[in-house]
Amino acid sequence: MPPPLDQEVLRQKSRWLRRQTLQICRQAGEARLGSAFSATELYVALYYGDFLRFDSSKPFWPQRDRFILSKGHALGGLYPVLQDLGFLTQAEIEAICTPGGKYGPYGDCVPGLEAQWGSVGHGLGVGAGLALGAQMDAKTWLTVVMIGDGECYEGATWEAAMFASHHGLGNLIAIVDRNRACSIDFTENVLRLDPLDEKFRAFGWEVETIDGHSFAEILPAFQRARTQARTRPLCIIANTVKGKGLSQLEGNPLGHVITPSTGPDLERAIRELA
Amino acid sequence: MKTMRDAFLERFTEIAKADRNVVLLCNDFGAPALDRFRAELPRQFIHIGIAEENLVNAGAGLAMAGKQVYLYSIAPFVPLRCFEQIKVHMGFRGFNMNAVVVGAGFSYDKSGPTHHSLEDVTAVGAVPGVEIWTPSDAVLAEQLAVHSLRPGPKYFRFDREAVEDLYTPKEDFSRGFSRHGTGTDLVIVATGTIVHQALQIAKALKPRNVDVSVIDLFRPKPLDADALLAHLKPARRIATLEEHFLHGGLGDSISGLLHDHGLTVPLKRLGVPEQYFFEYGGREALRKAAGLDLATLIARLA
Repeated sequence: MPPPLDQEVLRQKSRWLRRQTLQICRQAGEARLGSAFSATELYVALYYGDFLRFDSSKPFWPQRDRFILSKGHALGGLYPVLQDLGFLTQAEIEAICTPGGKYGPYGDCVPGLEAQWGSVGHGLGVGAGLALGAQMDAKTWLTVVMIGDGECYEGATWEAAMFASHHGLGNLIAIVDRNRACSIDFTENVLRLDPLDEKFRAFGWEVETIDGHSFAEILPAFQRARTQARTRPLCIIANTVKGKGLSQLEGNPLGHVITPSTGPDLERAIRELA
Repeated sequence: MKTMRDAFLERFTEIAKADRNVVLLCNDFGAPALDRFRAELPRQFIHIGIAEENLVNAGAGLAMAGKQVYLYSIAPFVPLRCFEQIKVHMGFRGFNMNAVVVGAGFSYDKSGPTHHSLEDVTAVGAVPGVEIWTPSDAVLAEQLAVHSLRPGPKYFRFDREAVEDLYTPKEDFSRGFSRHGTGTDLVIVATGTIVHQALQIAKALKPRNVDVSVIDLFRPKPLDADALLAHLKPARRIATLEEHFLHGGLGDSISGLLHDHGLTVPLKRLGVPEQYFFEYGGREALRKAAGLDLATLIARLA
């Protein structure tokens, strides 16, 4: 467990992470830069902000918190963190999406987190099952699931939301990366998701809404999530910007699928992330 | 006579009493034997609501938390309403998840085609690594409760009807099939309760000088290829019989097995023709409509 860091250090870490993520997404083709960049500060807070409990020398340490990246398309943005913390080696990172490499843009079994998938809508239900299993056996670890707002179109997400509150899963935390865009358009154009907080509240969850790029808001919310005893699951809706940090992606309805890979686009991206 | 469901659940309840790690999730599908499980082991019983995707998702989470997981449902809804979840959670990582479903083929004979299960073996069979069991009697179903504790994902497809027992608990089920009779004029490979129909066919053809044996293939996947081929090679004719659509079913598996090994024994695949049946007159009427009643089958195989 790294020591807690001050916010400026976390902001620097986020800038580093975006630069590293661009590199991985260029290499890994299908990895989604826009999705990763909306979640960058959340990743940093989860792994460097004294939130998740883990031991990178023992990825299956029984007392670890179970973190599920349900929005698996954003895994590209987590790889540098996992390498930095020692879950993955430099060679493994360099082999992503190369013949013989173990890991892909969405991965399957990646050390440092419990699960992530290329298909959406699995995480909240799997997380609810994990949390119920922990509750049955009086385990104290938390289950933390990051879902994209696009996943809130999936019926399975709401099946799980109902299930989690019915079973009083106070050990389950959902973080919604509310970047307001799915793959080919903005969510409110496609099919309105707002008011998302009221939807989760109506399903019996505690809900907190934060700015998902501000450590001043993320850190206290995560600390409360960690320390407060609950009898209901907690949903943290993090308002974010898809593609945050790159002018080519921010506000672009196709920001999910664009990765500046060559030429002036890449040069501009590198400049903006410097 | 006991149903497969009751035989399985009664044994399963005893297993779960001894092993608190066993949990059963259901999607609003009951049985008297399940009522007993609920009453005696409420902490190991989870009613998921009528929500099949979450049945598999939450089941996967419980498996990740170290539980031995059972998903109990009526056959047409698991696997079809949650097929991608089955692919991802049972297929990718091979979790200890057992889908236990009731309603093979036309079992729900008066409920119409939403409740007929004629695609499930093809669907589950398409997912690598999932064992499929389609027993023909309650004795085997009870043994499967014990077998289910072995690691890995499994699919148990039970008939709803109680049928005569074919086996005793001493039977060796490990090869995935049992042979009845020694005839080689015609070898019928069948699965599920329609095996009983195959045994009737064998009896009916005997006086016509057709010596028939029946292979009850109660584990359609994986096939024990060598053992099966040893029984199929001497056959002059082979027929397959299943209460399931033909596409991707038992007949296709056997046909593939024979061809892959260069065997060119004449083969007839008998199953449900490619259509849905809006017929409410009971199991026999449905089998008749599908050409799977005894008289039609005898005529097709004579």
